Amino acid sequence: MAVNITHKVFAQEESATSLKPSQNQPSAVLTVKKLALNLAGKEVLQQVDFSLSPTGVTTVIGPSGAGKSSLLRCLNGLENRWSGAVKIDGRDIRQWPGGWDQLRRHMGLIAQKPVVFNTSIRTNICFGLLGWRQRRRADELVKTSLQQAALWDEVRDRLDTPATTLSVGQQQRLCIARAIAIKPKILLLDEPTASLDPRSKQLIEQSMLQLAQEIPLICVTHDLEQAQRLKGQVIFMCDGQVIEQAASHQFFNQPQQIETREFLRWNVCDCD
Amino acid sequence: MSRFSQQYRDTFNWYTPGKVLVVVLALPALLIPTMVLCYIFWQAAPVLDWGFLFGTADGIGFGMTEGIFSQLVGSLLLATMACLIATPFALGTALYYRTFATPWQQRLLSAMFNMLQGIPPIVFGLCGLVVLVNLFAWGVSLLSGAVVLAVVVLPLLVLNTLTTLERIPKEYSEAGSALGLTQGAIILRLWLPRSWLQLLTGLLLAMARALSETAPIMFTATVFSGVVWPDSIFSPVTTLQTHIFYLAQEGNDPLLTSIAWGSAAVLVLLVAFFALLARLLQKSGGH
Repeated sequence: MAVNITHKVFAQEESATSLKPSQNQPSAVLTVKKLALNLAGKEVLQQVDFSLSPTGVTTVIGPSGAGKSSLLRCLNGLENRWSGAVKIDGRDIRQWPGGWDQLRRHMGLIAQKPVVFNTSIRTNICFGLLGWRQRRRADELVKTSLQQAALWDEVRDRLDTPATTLSVGQQQRLCIARAIAIKPKILLLDEPTASLDPRSKQLIEQSMLQLAQEIPLICVTHDLEQAQRLKGQVIFMCDGQVIEQAASHQFFNQPQQIETREFLRWNVCDCD
Repeated sequence: MSRFSQQYRDTFNWYTPGKVLVVVLALPALLIPTMVLCYIFWQAAPVLDWGFLFGTADGIGFGMTEGIFSQLVGSLLLATMACLIATPFALGTALYYRTFATPWQQRLLSAMFNMLQGIPPIVFGLCGLVVLVNLFAWGVSLLSGAVVLAVVVLPLLVLNTLTTLERIPKEYSEAGSALGLTQGAIILRLWLPRSWLQLLTGLLLAMARALSETAPIMFTATVFSGVVWPDSIFSPVTTLQTHIFYLAQEGNDPLLTSIAWGSAAVLVLLVAFFALLARLLQKSGGH
C-alpha cells in the first residue's frame, strides 16, 4: 500500500513537472520548433518539437543513430547548420548576444567520454571562467561545483594533482563540476554514465537529480532504467524524429505509440 | 621495436636464404653512413681542438688559418633567424588550415606545401638573389639569407605543425567550446599548451634542416672572406656550409683540406645535436 501511495505521489509530481509542450509553453525555458538537420544529404533531425520547463530532467532515448546526440550538438551550437527555431526564454539562439560562445556558457554540454584537460583538478574546474583574476579567486566556486557533482569528498585533499590521475567515473564528475562552475542555465548531458561502473553511475544520477531542482537538464541515454530513475519527461526519438514525449511514468507504463511499445519491449524501432 | 616486428622476429625462421637477402639489402644503409661519419671524423681529428672551434681568423687570408668560430656563429645566426621568421607564418598557416579553411582550401594548402618541400633549395636561392638581393637591394646579407632559408624550412614547419594540431582530439577542442571558450582561447589555452613540445621538436628539426642547406645561402647571404662578424642584418656572413664548399675547391692544399674536414665534422655534430634534441623531446612528449 505504501508503495502504491509513493508511486501515486511520484506520478503526481511527474505530471506536475512533466512538460507537454502545449501545457507548459508559457513557463518553458527552452522551446524547439521544427528543428531539422541535414548532414551530407542525410536527414539527421526532422521536425523536432519539444520544450523544457525551468527545472527537471528531460531524458532523450532512442536507438543508435536516432539523432539524440546531434540534437544536443544543435542546441549547444556545436552544430549550427540546422533549420527551425530554438528559443531560450523567447530569444532565438541564432541571435544570442555574444554569439555561439556566449550561448554555450548559457547551455553547458557534457560529452559521453569525459575529457579532462591536462592540468590540475582545480584548474579544470576554473577552466571556463573568464579572466585570470576570477580563476585565481575561485576556491569557493571550486568547492561548490565539486560538491554539486558529488566529487568534493574524494578530491578535497588533492585539488592540485593532475586531473588525469582520476578514475573515468571521477573524470566524468569533474566534467560535470567544470560545466556547473560556469553556472549554465540549462545543462545538456550526452550519455554521461555510459561505460561507467554502477557506483559512479549512481553518484552522477544523484548529482543530476540535485541539479535538476535548480535548472533544466536534458540527458541522452541508452539506459531505459536510468530514464525511469531520472523521472521527469522522456522524449523518444527514432530516425531523427520525435516519436513520443511524455512524463516518465506515463511513458513507461502507457506508451501511446506503437514504435514506443516496440522499442520498450524489444529495444528496436522501425519507424520508416 | 614495435610489437609486430618483435612477434615477427620471434616466429620467423631466420636461418633461410631470405635472411641473407634481407641482411644484404639492409646492411649498406647501416654501414655506408657509419663509414662516412667515421671517415669524416678520422680526417677531421688532426685539426679538432678548442682553438679550432673557438678561434677566429682575421678578414684577410681567410681560410688559410684555423679557427671557425665566426662561421659557426654565422651558421647558427642564419638558421635561428630563418626559423624565427618562418615559425609565426607556419603557425598561422596551420591554424588557418585547422580553423577557417574550407575543404578545398585545405587540399590546396596541403598540396602546395608538399610540393614546396620538393623544390630544390637552389631555386629558392635564385629567387632570393633576384628579389631580395637585387630588387629589394638588401644585398648579400644575413637578412636575405635568413628569409630565403625561412622559405626553405617553411613547408617542413607547416607540415609538422599541421600533424601536431591534427593529433589533438576533436573532443578536446569541443570540451573547450562547450565551456564557451572562444576560438582564440581554445588555441592559446588548449592547443598550444598541449602541443608545444611537438612544435618545439619541429622547430629543432627545421634548425637542423636550415643548418644543412648550402645552395640557397651561397648567393644571398655568405661571403668567403672580408667579414668576421656581421655588423647588422644587412651585412654578409660566413657560414660553415659555404666555408667547406670554398675550402674543398682548394683540394691541393693539405692544410685547407683538413680545415674543410674539421668544419664538416663540426657541422655534422651541430645538425646531429639538433636532430637528437628533437628526438629526445619527442620521446619525452610520449610520441
